[in-house]
Amino acid sequence: MSFFECLKAYPEGSASASRLALTAKRLGYPGIIICNQEPNKLFRPGAVEFIKGIEVAFGAEVAAQSAKALKSRISALRARYPFLVVRGTTEEIIRVACEDPNVDLLLHPCDGHRPLGIATARAAKLNQVSIGFDLWPLLHLCGSPRARWLEAFRRNLLFARKFELCPVITAGARSHLDLRSPRELIALAEVAGFEHDEAKDALRRPGKLLELNRRKWLSPGVELL
Amino acid sequence: MIFELEAEDEILAKDLMPEIHSEQLFLFGDIGASENRLKLIAFNGRYGLIRFHHTHSVETRATLASVYSIHGTRVVLHTKGVTGTIKSATEKYLPRLSKISAESDGRRIELEEVSGCIIRTHGLEVDLCPDDRNWTKGSDTRYLGLTSFDLSGGHDDADGTADGL
Repeated sequence: MSFFECLKAYPEGSASASRLALTAKRLGYPGIIICNQEPNKLFRPGAVEFIKGIEVAFGAEVAAQSAKALKSRISALRARYPFLVVRGTTEEIIRVACEDPNVDLLLHPCDGHRPLGIATARAAKLNQVSIGFDLWPLLHLCGSPRARWLEAFRRNLLFARKFELCPVITAGARSHLDLRSPRELIALAEVAGFEHDEAKDALRRPGKLLELNRRKWLSPGVELL
Repeated sequence: MIFELEAEDEILAKDLMPEIHSEQLFLFGDIGASENRLKLIAFNGRYGLIRFHHTHSVETRATLASVYSIHGTRVVLHTKGVTGTIKSATEKYLPRLSKISAESDGRRIELEEVSGCIIRTHGLEVDLCPDDRNWTKGSDTRYLGLTSFDLSGGHDDADGTADGL
């Protein structure tokens, strides 16, 4: 049960990396990935070494204003961090992220006006970019905005299934109070439209990606042992 | 189903159940709620016991997980386990009463990156009320979640206490 969760720590969230690790360990996670936009500004990252029994990895969320800036930031961060996340804020960012094999996870917005397109899905499949489903709006919204979000979520999930993409689920936690246990996340994902096994695989996916990225690849399919 | 409540302040049972009911109604509608009628059996301020229809455990888990705040106070409900009888639930999962309160314990932390009053400590966990409200901006929480490992070693001459503060 190697479920991993991607989250943000202080100063981008309101809990330190060690507090998130402590809470995640209590909830039953074997590991977490801290993906801040500025990972070098994390508050006391060294304190996580004192939390035993949980693996804490430091990834990065890539944010940029334009496609060109995003590309250069991805190539700059790739060598330093084993896990790169891009939050799809605009069409241009989404297109560039899914066309770049250096990106591990694209957090696609579940927006009725910007659904996951055929071209995006094909490019993500070709470049092995996982599509992230952030369940934060399911907890945060209510009423008709949540209904619209659920509709867009199900449409994106349909595309992900059709093009055999690798979905990833996350609660988008920014504090220890946002963290949900693996079984709770799976239950929420099932309510939103995932199958039970599909949700489990989606929660395992970040851990698998992390393990792959830590190995030394000389070129596609060639590993340095 | 036994659940544990984590909150920034004290939450009363009379405030908790309406929030759970409204979340269930928002998520599953009237028909879904009628098929799985939830009833709060016990709640001691931190741990609670809720009765649900045995075929709707996923829906109940999702309902409890989607509770976000009660009267503006950030809360989270973590499911601890499911049992068949109230007796076994009480024996297995409900430990001693431990209430949550939001009174400062009087100690202050002043580091380069963060400063404020300690609200509560629980084991290694430390909740800090920051001097600058902007430090918790974007996550809807009042307090910063830290551990004693974050705070120890701040000053060379500090004596330190058993909990690292």
